[in-house]
Amino acid sequence: MVQVKSPQDLGAGLVFTLIGLAGFYFGADLTVGTGARMGPGYFPVLLSGLITAVGLVLGLRGVTVEGPPIEPVQLRPIFFIIAAILVFGFLIESIGLALTSVLLTILATYARPEVKLSETVLLGVGLAMFTVVVFVYVLGQPLPAWWGR
Amino acid sequence: MELDLLHNLATGFSAAVSLKNLGFALLGCLLGTLIGVLPGIGPIPTIAMLLPITFGLEPLSSLIMLAGIYYGAQYGGSTTSILVNIPGEASSIVTCLDGHEMAKQGRAGAALGVAALGSFFAGCVGTVFIAAFGPPLAAIAQEFNSPDYFSLMVLGLVTAVILAHGSVLKAVGMVLVGLLFGLVGTDVNSGLTRYTFGVSDLWDGIDFLPLVIGLFGVVEIIRNLERPALRRPHVSAKMRDLWPGIKDFQESWRAVLRGTAVGSILGILPGGGAVLAAFASYTLEKKVAKDPSRFGRGAIEGVAGPESANNAAAQTSFIPLLTLGLPSNAIMALMMGAMIIQGIQPGSAVMAKRPDLFWGMVASMWIGNLMLLVINLPLIGIWVRLLSVPYRLLYPAILLFCVIGIYSTNTNMTQLVLCAVFAVFGYVLLRFGCEPAPLVLGFILGPLMEENLRRSLVISRGDPMVFLERPISAALLAATVAIVALIVVPQFRKTREEAFQE
Repeated sequence: MVQVKSPQDLGAGLVFTLIGLAGFYFGADLTVGTGARMGPGYFPVLLSGLITAVGLVLGLRGVTVEGPPIEPVQLRPIFFIIAAILVFGFLIESIGLALTSVLLTILATYARPEVKLSETVLLGVGLAMFTVVVFVYVLGQPLPAWWGR
Repeated sequence: MELDLLHNLATGFSAAVSLKNLGFALLGCLLGTLIGVLPGIGPIPTIAMLLPITFGLEPLSSLIMLAGIYYGAQYGGSTTSILVNIPGEASSIVTCLDGHEMAKQGRAGAALGVAALGSFFAGCVGTVFIAAFGPPLAAIAQEFNSPDYFSLMVLGLVTAVILAHGSVLKAVGMVLVGLLFGLVGTDVNSGLTRYTFGVSDLWDGIDFLPLVIGLFGVVEIIRNLERPALRRPHVSAKMRDLWPGIKDFQESWRAVLRGTAVGSILGILPGGGAVLAAFASYTLEKKVAKDPSRFGRGAIEGVAGPESANNAAAQTSFIPLLTLGLPSNAIMALMMGAMIIQGIQPGSAVMAKRPDLFWGMVASMWIGNLMLLVINLPLIGIWVRLLSVPYRLLYPAILLFCVIGIYSTNTNMTQLVLCAVFAVFGYVLLRFGCEPAPLVLGFILGPLMEENLRRSLVISRGDPMVFLERPISAALLAATVAIVALIVVPQFRKTREEAFQE
């Protein structure tokens, strides 16, 4: 039975190995060519090979050398922050900067356990006003301020 | 030679000193300090977040503003270290040791003052350093051929990996992954697209901004949220007598000189930079002090030395970037990314073709340092008050600015999806003990490395010996091997581990 001694190393090894293999797999249709006439696949394949090698060595170290544990992952912050970014990206074209700013603020606030809704809405509205004035009107960035542009 | 130097600096100042550019330098310093002073946000996320603001400007103004942001962010980090014992980044960890101790003894003013004055002095010396060493290095760089550039990048990446925090092997992996990410998009030689997965927004490659903001900015926010609520700093220090007293000067001027020297030299090394310089300077101060036991209990030299060193290094680390086109650390990679977006490929050609740009930037570094001194000392009260704004109100704003920054530079939602992907990716890897900085270095150098490798092998008809036959390339590779050998030697390894322990 193989025992995990250093979970961090094993995890990193796994990620690197996967990236390396993905590099080979998705680069399979690229011509490698020869040294004198490097094809578009030459450098990617070289890198993928090295990444896979690093990944394997790290993975091996993960089961042989003692190492620190992985800090527990908290899903709440990462979920809400990522959701906030994506919601902003998907909605800005249709509903404009002002409303997406409020939405992002509300979503982002839920990344923390205790939420004061009134404070959050106030913050969101304040930020929305600030961003619309500064980014759209003062800096003239190419952002729709409102819906239906 | 000396006349040249003066003449060059004069060119620079005449290019940089316009009311508009001074305004951008001031604005950059202000914004940099504003974000940098927020607890838990170091210079890299600060610069990444503020990058988009500079894109709309003309090249020189944009670089001037960026330099201002950089210095501001650095100084903001020192301020939080001293006042509330929260280092924004690795290079101000050492400042915490004695700086915060001084603040607790009611000498925060002296600590901040010495940090600012020391940094300013170091910044001046660093600027002269660039002016003096830039042209000769650029002249050497003119002799460089593809094989030499390739070997130079190998040397740079290897050194950066060895001087990075944590596991060397993981840093190697991150550099390689960065190089691979850098290749995504259309291959310039064949016109074929690589790793684009049918997404047309990837044909031009992965955008720099979503990558760095995802890896640094967003990950930083998530990590701060995971920690239990930061104890609200109780700043009891009296801010009245900000100017250090005569005694403080007497105790610290030597440390400032030593720190400046250490920082200027370490900054030039590939892989070096502010962090290494600050640690080295602190160790040096402890060694030369008559009574080393004072350190950690509010020794002013422990603030003066490292603060001068990290600023000198921050300055001189521009040398390899501006003359050789080689970013020596992640911050320089950010600067390089910004320059490329402005249509400038950093390297010796810039100095030859656009002297106004090169010297203008050198001059603006000095201006940036002056601005810091002028704005930070009087405004310190405002920065302190900013520290008491609760994080729960700050991070939604920071996140919003990051997202708007990405979206407004390239208005399509793919960029935000990319940012989210890189944030998750960076977060997972960080959990596995992999720092993102080496990845950014690799990312920025990926296309350059491939191109130089290709050209080298075309010249030599596929014979890899070309890297050993050319003297410059061979020397650079020999240096690389020597550095790798160093780390295998147990003694050095021990010192490295000790250095990072402290």
